[in-house]
Amino acid sequence: MRKIPRLLQAVLVIGFVYAAFVVVFDVFLEQVIPASLLTMYMFFVIAGVFMVFTFTEESTRELVAPIKALVEDPSRKAIRNIVFAVLPLAVAAYTYFSTLPSYQAPVELRSIHPAPPSTVRAFEKRYDLLTLENPFRKYEKEDPEKFKQLVVEGGNVYTSNCQFCHGDKLDGKGPYAQGLNPVPLNFQDVGTIAQLQESFLFWRIATGGPGLPKEATPWSSSMPVWQKFLTEDEIWKVILYLYDYTGHQPRSWQHD
Amino acid sequence: MIEKRNLFILVVTLWTGFVAPAAAKSGDPDAGAEIYTQFCIHCHGEEGDAVTETADRLNPPPRDFTTAQYKIKATDFEDDFPNDLDLFRMIRDGMPGSAMPGWSDVLSDQQIFDLVAYIKIFAGLEEEELGPSMEYGEQIAISAESIEQGKRLFHEGDRCSECHGKEGRGDAIKGLKDDAGFRTWPRNLTKPWNFRASNDPKDIFTRISTGIPGTQMPAFADPTSDKQLTAEERWHVANYVNSLAKTERVVRPENTVVKADHVNGELPDAVDDPLWEKTEPSTFFLVPQLIGEERFFTPSNDTITARALYSDTEFAILLEWDDRTKSIPGDETAEKISDPEIAEDGVAIQLPVKIPEGSEKPYFGMGDATNPVTIWHWKSGTTDTPQSVNLINATGFENIEQRDAASLSITAQGFYQDGTWRVIMKRPRSGVDKEKDIELIEGKAIPIAFAAWDGSNSEQGSRHTMTAWYWLLLKPDIGARPIVSAAFAGFLVFGVLLWWQRSASSKRATKDV
Ligand code: HEC
Ligand code: HEC
Repeated sequence: MRKIPRLLQAVLVIGFVYAAFVVVFDVFLEQVIPASLLTMYMFFVIAGVFMVFTFTEESTRELVAPIKALVEDPSRKAIRNIVFAVLPLAVAAYTYFSTLPSYQAPVELRSIHPAPPSTVRAFEKRYDLLTLENPFRKYEKEDPEKFKQLVVEGGNVYTSNCQFCHGDKLDGKGPYAQGLNPVPLNFQDVGTIAQLQESFLFWRIATGGPGLPKEATPWSSSMPVWQKFLTEDEIWKVILYLYDYTGHQPRSWQHD
Repeated sequence: MIEKRNLFILVVTLWTGFVAPAAAKSGDPDAGAEIYTQFCIHCHGEEGDAVTETADRLNPPPRDFTTAQYKIKATDFEDDFPNDLDLFRMIRDGMPGSAMPGWSDVLSDQQIFDLVAYIKIFAGLEEEELGPSMEYGEQIAISAESIEQGKRLFHEGDRCSECHGKEGRGDAIKGLKDDAGFRTWPRNLTKPWNFRASNDPKDIFTRISTGIPGTQMPAFADPTSDKQLTAEERWHVANYVNSLAKTERVVRPENTVVKADHVNGELPDAVDDPLWEKTEPSTFFLVPQLIGEERFFTPSNDTITARALYSDTEFAILLEWDDRTKSIPGDETAEKISDPEIAEDGVAIQLPVKIPEGSEKPYFGMGDATNPVTIWHWKSGTTDTPQSVNLINATGFENIEQRDAASLSITAQGFYQDGTWRVIMKRPRSGVDKEKDIELIEGKAIPIAFAAWDGSNSEQGSRHTMTAWYWLLLKPDIGARPIVSAAFAGFLVFGVLLWWQRSASSKRATKDV
């Protein structure tokens, strides 16, 4: 079997890694890899490949031999002329398109589950989030019939207030979800309410978007300040509904 | 992105077409009852009568199953009821443009047929022999000629345009209520994402044939109607309606920036000035105002399109949105179409008073105590007062300062045609008062948000539609920079190559000597 030239090997390795990045992000993670991130990764990849391929003097020579030959070997005149025409044009085109401004929106970073404060003011009271519990949770064991009724009531609160954005199936895809930025949370996702305590939800619901700390961009969150529209009991019931519907369990201090 | 979505739709259509059960399966009503209690009662009610807390906040309201009145059916127009497959499909795919979601990601086909069996009981339909699907005749493929034919039939004797408007935007010329007395809006046919079924020609054919029971949408297969259409004609009309969806005013989620082009000299005053055509439109979803008292749940507008231009001294923005009614209080026709009381139509843009340096912006709902916003609010006028523009500065819903728009030379002019408002707003780029007026600086990303009011849909004050924050960018003039740098880089590389080759061959020459 003929050996693949070292230069071609290096190019193939880099190309393969590049394709792998794009495929992993686009297909498996279902999000386009940010250009800046890709550039950074590829910088390290190219540097790494270069280091490996120039480890000994001989391997270095092998690597650059084809390039050297192309430029210096008189017998390669035809191909050299082509490269001398194409390469500068390619560089010029690349420079042209990269100097054109892209007019992209500024990148905005945002923490989705910011650390809760230890106490929170709502309904003209102060709540200690470390000890705050859902007053209705106990009925789950003590009086299942009553609990079921409370869940239904929570469902009515949810459907007449929350489903517009968070979706009737609690999947974050309500009729108006597409018009919001940031998008509404998907409660079915294991990364949302399943990771949180009921007291955290109470805080987030009662004080809404404007109650968020700065790292969570309170100015852009469309989450209403629900203490304006719901009672304390309604908030606790709707929290029951969220867990009941999705089958998630709230986190509690005892288990942590 | 667009292509991706089209591909997605194609895949879904192929897939659903593929897996759609050819024949209805029989369902188990008892199993259905359980699923119904879990997923459907909050809208359709335990008794199936749609008497729920939610129902009041939804337009269209959830279906009342006790009436056996269904909108979407593919049975013959003379049949009173849809068949099991019709119901199956509506539950599986949902009804876009309403709160009714599709359930295919949660429920299996069998479970959906169980639901069908159960909901029929509410109206005693379980004993009915439900009809087969209607006759479709020979489907006529989409072509320019067919679309042309369809267009003629659509307008002939105001057959469809009477309700759907000249351009299909649903700008009816008469008031419409459904059988239950709710206000219905004729569908805006240029917005296929609101079709309860879909805008596939076959679905449109079905709707044209049977109408939409319970609403004003007539059945055109009905031979007793003087506007009746043959099957062949219905295919032409369906192809035409399908073609109406091709508009440039669609939301592209990746486009969050309104890019203003630079113009030398005067900015245009006319909405049809060719300069506007050359600027890139950005379209955003409008959502009802649900964050402040009084909340608003039943919007009629769902998108707004913005284009912007600027000169050395002035800034202009063209706002376009579909509104089925030109709401001019005092105007007789306008008042006849709507429910008794109408208010002015309106549109507004919101900007921060200071362009944010970091990531912090004012609260998108009219600013906050530390970050004021400025709002330019145009109103359509009444029969007694002309169109007007108001200037408002706010630091939250409750803290609003009304200012004189004229003092800042803000002007706004609106034009209504065939179901679309077009409003141009203008302002000098620098304000009068540094503390209150934003300086519109080129090259900076400026947060911008929009709001709209449909006065014939009881929208007034806090009852309106709005958007999240997006961006406005006055595109800086880049001049010849890209060309110059490209030429420079190209020549540099060429030079280096040449030098390398030359020095190598001269080395060879010395060696040879
Ligand atoms: C968030 C509220 C909501 C929920 C939950 C909901 N629906 Fe609906 N449903 C609606 C609305 C609103 C309509 C009427 C849409 C229209 O008239 O355009 C509707 C209409 C329907 C129709 C009538 C279709 C037709 O052709 O007229 C059926 C059948 C239906 N729903 C079944 C269900 C079933 C079964 C469930 C539970 C799995 C369910 N719905 C859950 C809101 C809801
Ligand atoms: C008398 C008024 C009226 C006339 C005439 C009329 N429509 Fe409609 N049409 C409506 C209304 C109202 C609706 C919306 C019903 C609802 O609330 O769901 C509608 C809905 C539709 C839809 C939406 C279907 C869907 O899946 O959502 C289509 C398509 C349509 N009409 C096409 C036509 C065509 C084509 C014609 C002429 C052949 C026509 N209509 C004539 C009133 C009318």
